[in-house]
Amino acid sequence: MDAAVTTLKFESKAVIPTDPRTKLFLTVTVSTIMITGGTGGFMNFVRPCLMACPIIFLLLSRKWVAAARFAVTYAILFALELTVLPLLTGTWNFILGAAVGIYTHMLPGFIMGYYLVSTTTVSEFVAAMERMHVPEKIVIPVSVVFRFFPTVKEEYAAIRDAMKMRGITTLRSPMKMLEYRVVPLMMSIAKIGEELSAAALTRGLGAPQKRTNICKIGFGPLDVFFFLLAIPCWVGFFIC
Amino acid sequence: METKSKKLQAKDLINVGIFTAIYFVIFFAGMMLGYIPIFIPLLGLVCPILCGIPFMLYLTKVKKFGMVSLTGIILGLLNLIMGSGILVLVAGIIFGIASDLILRAGKYQSWKCTFLANGVFSLWIMGYVSRMFLTRTEFFASLVSSYGQEYVDTLMSYTPNWMFPVLFVVTFIGGILGALLGKAVLKKHFEKAGIA
Repeated sequence: MDAAVTTLKFESKAVIPTDPRTKLFLTVTVSTIMITGGTGGFMNFVRPCLMACPIIFLLLSRKWVAAARFAVTYAILFALELTVLPLLTGTWNFILGAAVGIYTHMLPGFIMGYYLVSTTTVSEFVAAMERMHVPEKIVIPVSVVFRFFPTVKEEYAAIRDAMKMRGITTLRSPMKMLEYRVVPLMMSIAKIGEELSAAALTRGLGAPQKRTNICKIGFGPLDVFFFLLAIPCWVGFFIC
Repeated sequence: METKSKKLQAKDLINVGIFTAIYFVIFFAGMMLGYIPIFIPLLGLVCPILCGIPFMLYLTKVKKFGMVSLTGIILGLLNLIMGSGILVLVAGIIFGIASDLILRAGKYQSWKCTFLANGVFSLWIMGYVSRMFLTRTEFFASLVSSYGQEYVDTLMSYTPNWMFPVLFVVTFIGGILGALLGKAVLKKHFEKAGIA
């Protein structure tokens, strides 16, 4: 019995599983500090750490391809900043500088978001939210949102391919492209949503009883470690 | 299937989730334009127009008080996770509830109230921008080191202080235009397909 439980899909994904709440907290930490935090002084030390953080998490979760892809993106951005940027002047410097600056700020938060969504199952997420005593009226919509991001992406890719075959691309007809992509996307999403709510209701969502959850979540030593690690970052954020 | 109960059912909550997800995705696509500094003032105009389509479809499903407020809260939370700061959450809550009240005044039926509600709801985007005005010096100071002086100067020259109320108006107009576009699309496609 024990052996069967330990091999369940959602439990064997990460080398060292971290609690969804830790992931959420770290995502907020990384994205907030990277985007709105200051630079200089102590933050010069914090920033690179926060940039490395998402990659380490992806590695810990055995997401080799994603980790490699994001690491390469970082490398390209830094290479651009170090080699090409000093050579340019005026407008080009301005455009490239802004682009590189924005990407290095946005990307870590983005990767953390990707990590959060791709390594947390909906049940784990719901379990974590219930532990935090978030009201059900927030938990259900938010878990649906998380469940839907991958679906939207998939559907959009399919629609894009179909429209490409018909020759409706962004450059040739921008207004058409809006209509021909957004409308089918919303059609399919609305349909999927109806099916999803039927499925969820069958499983007893919205029943008056308290729902049970199979996922075991809890704070391990690693979670405590990351929480402690995040504290100096926040201190730096508020001081600088 | 239509329940008469005033309370939000699981089905309603799932609807909230679905449409918030698609709203957020389309909004994010629109936001990409904002990374070119010249477009930042235009952001308030472009995003609500794009988001008008999902929002109008959403409003055809909204028949109870609280759904639009929840959408506002969740959009705020998502943006908080993505690191846009607490102001977006505050704006999301305020304008979500405000637009919900407007919709209730029209009993979730009248088109006029729907247009108005979309306009008001779009104002949550101002949560992004208000940081630029309310904490102006710190905001630009933090940008200088990471984006370069030129970016900041350009942005500053495009956004003098009097732009703040103007942006509200522009966003509101964008919301109304988005609602009109959304209604046209609704009529052309969704009603035919029996979704709306």
